[in-house]
Amino acid sequence: MKRNWWKYLGAALVLYAIIVGISRPLNPGILQIDPIALEAGQTYDLNIATYNTNFTNGSDVDAFIKINDTFGIQSQSVVILEHNELKASFVIPEKLPSILQRERYSIILSADGLGTFIRPSALSIVQKEIDLNGAIAAWPSNDFGKFKRADRAQFPFRAILYESLRNLFYHVPMWFGMTFLLLGSLVSSVLYLKDNNIERDMMASSMIKVAVLYGILGCATGAIWARGTWGTWWTFQEIKLNVSAATLLLYFAYFLLRAAIDDEILKAKISSVYSIIGFVAAVFLLFVLPRMVGDSLHPGNGGNPGFGGEDLDSTLRTVFYPAVIGWTLLGFWLAQLSYRSEILQDYFLEKFD
Amino acid sequence: MKSILALIRLELQMELRRKYALGGALLYVLSTVFVIYSSLQDAKELPWNALFWLVALFIAVNAVAKSFAIEQDGTQLYLYQLASGIHIIMAKIIYNVLLVMLLLSLSTVAFLLFLAIPILHMGLFFCTIALGSLSLGIVLSFISAIANKTDSSAVFTAILGFPVLLPILLSLIKLTEASFSEEMLPVSHDIIILLAIDTILLGLILILFPIVWKD
Repeated sequence: MKRNWWKYLGAALVLYAIIVGISRPLNPGILQIDPIALEAGQTYDLNIATYNTNFTNGSDVDAFIKINDTFGIQSQSVVILEHNELKASFVIPEKLPSILQRERYSIILSADGLGTFIRPSALSIVQKEIDLNGAIAAWPSNDFGKFKRADRAQFPFRAILYESLRNLFYHVPMWFGMTFLLLGSLVSSVLYLKDNNIERDMMASSMIKVAVLYGILGCATGAIWARGTWGTWWTFQEIKLNVSAATLLLYFAYFLLRAAIDDEILKAKISSVYSIIGFVAAVFLLFVLPRMVGDSLHPGNGGNPGFGGEDLDSTLRTVFYPAVIGWTLLGFWLAQLSYRSEILQDYFLEKFD
Repeated sequence: MKSILALIRLELQMELRRKYALGGALLYVLSTVFVIYSSLQDAKELPWNALFWLVALFIAVNAVAKSFAIEQDGTQLYLYQLASGIHIIMAKIIYNVLLVMLLLSLSTVAFLLFLAIPILHMGLFFCTIALGSLSLGIVLSFISAIANKTDSSAVFTAILGFPVLLPILLSLIKLTEASFSEEMLPVSHDIIILLAIDTILLGLILILFPIVWKD
């Protein structure tokens, strides 16, 4: 147990990531609003379709239109139609505190138990004349009290991604795991070249074996996600897919090289040297090139909603970090098992030859 | 330094005597240009970038692979045992870089003469060829040294070399694309990346080659 604690930890973390990653619900979200083009000075009954909500007749729901950080409009009344549909009536004042004639504003719903959720830039409101001071002077009450908080942990609701953001816990850790395994194999290869201990070369090749497995799984999970989000299993327009394929090609070539040389020591030397050169190329491919190109369809790049920096919600972090650690530990466990089986194979071949 | 120059002179003499690599490469240049010319007569907008780099890769890989294939000769082995590993690989790299640069320039001339390739920024194009031959020379020299230990070395030079060359190729392709376009695109980033990857790979190769060579 003392020597293998990390294996149990890895397995436990992966199990946690799988269970919580799939079962934790998403934040409620706003899907559709009808009508979305409004005029200042009119009264409207907005029909709002929501996602992942459980409204009943007695639900206490408030609706707001956010003009900017200081001003907002509260709905006059909210009528629940279905468990995921409601009708909110708004009276839009004549003049809006905005310097543009037509602008898009966000709509916010705040419900008991479900929390507060927003659809940014959902409504476009046109005002006939622009009078900033007059609007601010004539603005009705702006004091809405506190927004309601959700009473359960939930993942953020993001446009385009919706439920598929759960892929974050399975697809991204694959690449993290592959990188750590490749690092480990680099260290192993360098150590082999230093002291010529053939076991280090076996360890390096086992790690690369599992790294390639993780790469293939990463591409597979990515393909399943892409089918849902982008509509296609694969595309050659996306730089990250191209460089991942190229890296896998590189390490397939590594195994071809090992298969082509029979002498064990020569095989170890040549493949270690190639894996070191290949690692430099792989680092350039996976980390430098996507940042150089910049434009990418993946979440977080090129205008897509993403997870990095301020985008990565704390609720996502509580599952994402354990998932990365867990899958990495699991990968090293797999590599160790492969290494041990290779040593045993060699031992029995020598014994009974 | 003297031994490196001597080794380069040795390579040159071997080449002039047998003319394997140079003759073969010239043949490749002319035959590929001929194939392109005759098969794409009607096409108005040719993918010049793709065509040029396909031809360039083909020529470079074959030229460099041949330079290591002559190792089997007994006299060569004796001479090589006298020189240190670093000198040998430096000599081979310098020779191969110059060879590839010559071949790429020849293919550019062939493209210009026979196919009227529309290069708008000549200076940038030749700068790209110089950088490209530096990168291709360095990487392919080392990969052929490794691949030579297997049975089918030419196949393995291509298999092993292509993924390692990929990031280099992507930058080179961007640079040639910039030399075809009418506007002045920002290319300094790609040039720096190429120089950086060349430096790193050269350093690694100088450390790793003596290990390969000990056999």
